[in-house]
Amino acid sequence: MEHTAGFSLPNSGHNRDAEASKMGMWLFLFTELLLFGGLFIVYMVYRSLNPEAFLLASFELDVTLGTFNTVVLLVSSMTIAMSITAIQKGNSKLSIQLLVVTLVAATVFLIVKYFEWSSKIHHGLFPGQELYASLPPGESLFFFLYFFMTGLHALHIIIGGIIIGVVVYRTRKGLISSEKYTLTENAGLYWHLVDLIWIYLFPLFYLIH
Amino acid sequence: MREDQNKTPENKQQQLHITSYKEHFSTLAALLLLTVITVAISVFGADLRSLSVFTALLIATVKVIVVAYYFMHLKYDTKIYTWLVLIVVVLFVSFTVLTSIEYLNR
Repeated sequence: MEHTAGFSLPNSGHNRDAEASKMGMWLFLFTELLLFGGLFIVYMVYRSLNPEAFLLASFELDVTLGTFNTVVLLVSSMTIAMSITAIQKGNSKLSIQLLVVTLVAATVFLIVKYFEWSSKIHHGLFPGQELYASLPPGESLFFFLYFFMTGLHALHIIIGGIIIGVVVYRTRKGLISSEKYTLTENAGLYWHLVDLIWIYLFPLFYLIH
Repeated sequence: MREDQNKTPENKQQQLHITSYKEHFSTLAALLLLTVITVAISVFGADLRSLSVFTALLIATVKVIVVAYYFMHLKYDTKIYTWLVLIVVVLFVSFTVLTSIEYLNR
């Protein structure tokens, strides 16, 4: 019967299966994609019903800030991908540094988003405010979707930042190493998903004039 | 008989491909270039209105494929992930097309 003990149990007392963890993460990402996908379909329908209003409203958004945030997210996607390379090569210190750069990028993204939102709210464009209520129906739909979709995306940035923080903590503690870095990989996958969604949000709200 | 299957996850991971820093950097360079193109078309090509909607989504899709293929490691992972992604994409595109047909025929 010793033949059945072909695999070795880790000391933690439960099986660790890196491939299964990654599969689990991908399945979760698919649910996320369909969550945002549904919102993109709502956007598509309302845009096709109110093309002129969406066009007018989209001029209210600042292309420079949107482009800046796009670059910030793309760079952060590279740094987290590189931190996986670093941990695979056994360089925990570099891995942590790259994760911290990713966290800084996430913070910069949120700060820019804060200024964008507060300028819109200052103008009264947030759903429920005075100017919002007086807008033609198509334009108010644009701003409703803008706040809802970028808000949901920003929530994902915050969650991603927390996960990356946990990875930094565990790497520092030595719980993540070149032998065992599934959490770093999964955090990377999640972070790339956040980037992917922004890649579509950016042209749909800021660029399609 | 099962000698070569008796590898622990650690051993398996060590055999996996490690993407170089250089490849990650090239991926970023490509993504930034695509961003510059899409912004330039939007800002300077204002008279190409309908074209710009199409190109913006096309470029975004190219960017997403680059991120998934290189950063998300689909290039080096087992092909099951690529297939699953394709199935989800087909599912989403079907929803989109069916919804469009419904609204275009009103």
